[in-house]
Amino acid sequence: MKSTTAEVDPGSYLLSRTVDGFGFAKQEQSNSTETLSKNRPVDDHPNDREQKTIRKWRKMIGVGGSDWKHYVRRKPHVVKRRIRKGIPDCLRGLVWQLISGSRDLLLMNPGVYEQLVIYETSASELEIIRDISRTFPSHVFYQQRHGLGQRSLYNVLKAYSVYDRDVGYVQGMGFLAGLLLLYMSEEDAFWLLVALLKGAIHAPMEGLYQQAGLPLVQEYLSQFEQLVKEYLPMLGEHFIQEMVNPSMYASQWFITVFSYSFPFPLALRIWDVFLYEGVKVVFQVGLALLRFCHDDLIKLPFEKLLHALKNFPAEAMNPDKLLPLAFSIKVSKRLEEFKREYEKRKERPLPHSLPLLSSSGIPIHNLAGLE
Amino acid sequence: MAASGSNKIKNAKLVLLGDAGTGKSSLVLRYVKGQFVEFQESTIGAAFFSQAVAVNDETVKFEIWDTAGQERYHSLAPMYYRGAAAAVIVYDITNLATFARAKKWVQELQAQGSPNTIMALAGNKADLLEARQVSAQEAETYANENGLFFMETSAKTAINVTDIFYETAKRLIQAQPVQNPQGMILAGRPSERPPTAAAASCCS
Repeated sequence: MKSTTAEVDPGSYLLSRTVDGFGFAKQEQSNSTETLSKNRPVDDHPNDREQKTIRKWRKMIGVGGSDWKHYVRRKPHVVKRRIRKGIPDCLRGLVWQLISGSRDLLLMNPGVYEQLVIYETSASELEIIRDISRTFPSHVFYQQRHGLGQRSLYNVLKAYSVYDRDVGYVQGMGFLAGLLLLYMSEEDAFWLLVALLKGAIHAPMEGLYQQAGLPLVQEYLSQFEQLVKEYLPMLGEHFIQEMVNPSMYASQWFITVFSYSFPFPLALRIWDVFLYEGVKVVFQVGLALLRFCHDDLIKLPFEKLLHALKNFPAEAMNPDKLLPLAFSIKVSKRLEEFKREYEKRKERPLPHSLPLLSSSGIPIHNLAGLE
Repeated sequence: MAASGSNKIKNAKLVLLGDAGTGKSSLVLRYVKGQFVEFQESTIGAAFFSQAVAVNDETVKFEIWDTAGQERYHSLAPMYYRGAAAAVIVYDITNLATFARAKKWVQELQAQGSPNTIMALAGNKADLLEARQVSAQEAETYANENGLFFMETSAKTAINVTDIFYETAKRLIQAQPVQNPQGMILAGRPSERPPTAAAASCCS
């Protein structure tokens, strides 16, 4: 796709646009900017409280993560509580790698990433290139044509499409990788993607992107629909009346774990919890959004309802309001039951994920006993 | 936007189908909001828009579903084209493969969709003439043979964007004359349709 406007002079482009604390070009809406600045990552002048929090976190992690596993074993509840309050932005990249299990994968597979990027070719290369400039197009890191951001994104996605040729590249992955690359190196981001999709700590999520109809998306959406009916029965009934189902508004929540078209400060806080506690937080946040706007949503007809479900008010997007509400909604037990029912209903279980083995034949160590 | 004082408003579900990166979202955003950006974020899942268009003394209100184009998302498409009154199938005139994919969508709609669905074929990115890979002639012939109407469009310059939706609305009205008191079911939604159809969600 050729275009002249694409070749902007990067320097002037960066300077001429104002960006928020996370590197996204500022939108005109002033209300969202306010919430943003309140939740900015730790900047050059963290206040005393923030510094105290960072010190606590550093102690918990140890040098380069050396104390982490020990601490988690001793005080899992402290870790959970602190993560729910938000990982300090300056430590986020490292902590994400520790809690997702990706750091171990990286250490067990030296040289593999390089091999995938440099020596292998992928059938998805053109598809990936087509989407690169359409991933977080308003973020400075990804705006520059062929710049560092776009190149890293390409490499990570290509490497994954080689690592698992059956899954290959699927639209949506770019937003996961794009989010990760803002906090870590290419190789780290790649292994975190592997940890998530192949299931290093939690259940594998590659079903979100697999052939045969994105089976895990279907499963999650059906579970979410049931949760809405049970937890918000009036709204659930209203959705049925208006023939609105979750695939119309929530597929992207699951496919990209809220990294697509959600305010970045909220997305990051969700990811903190998601990587530690697993996918259930996506259900919780989804339910919390619906509950937060329940009284408005229940009055809206089809068209306005769909609009509202894609445009939640800024107040609902404030992590300090939304997340406590989300955590108060207990879903684990019901999710497990739904899952069992779902699998029973389908005669055969999902074609189970390949173990950690790349289809290019590069041996990858098994994850058993990682924890 | 809607003709004021008009007494007949018809809701019509319209779906945009076509390969990834052909400009489905850009067409819709140009049409509904008059906007264009060079790098439109990929559509994940589907996006919904609505837009009313007046044709003589009648108004068609489009309920537009903009779908994700990548092949892998194919399985999610039926719930969007099922019951659609109209489909705009989009390809990129600078990319022959997207034309082949458009033909596949036409076949699928002919086989699976409702026989009354109005189908439009949009050859998008018509501003990029120097990179053209699909001739207008070829597309026109294909469209005629398959009962579609065809326009080359450019979301970037806005050429033919309003026109293709207007033409779709016009054909919808022609195909569904007003004498039917209940009106045709254009939108396939509950107010017009018994709730049995509710089972037709994608997540069975």
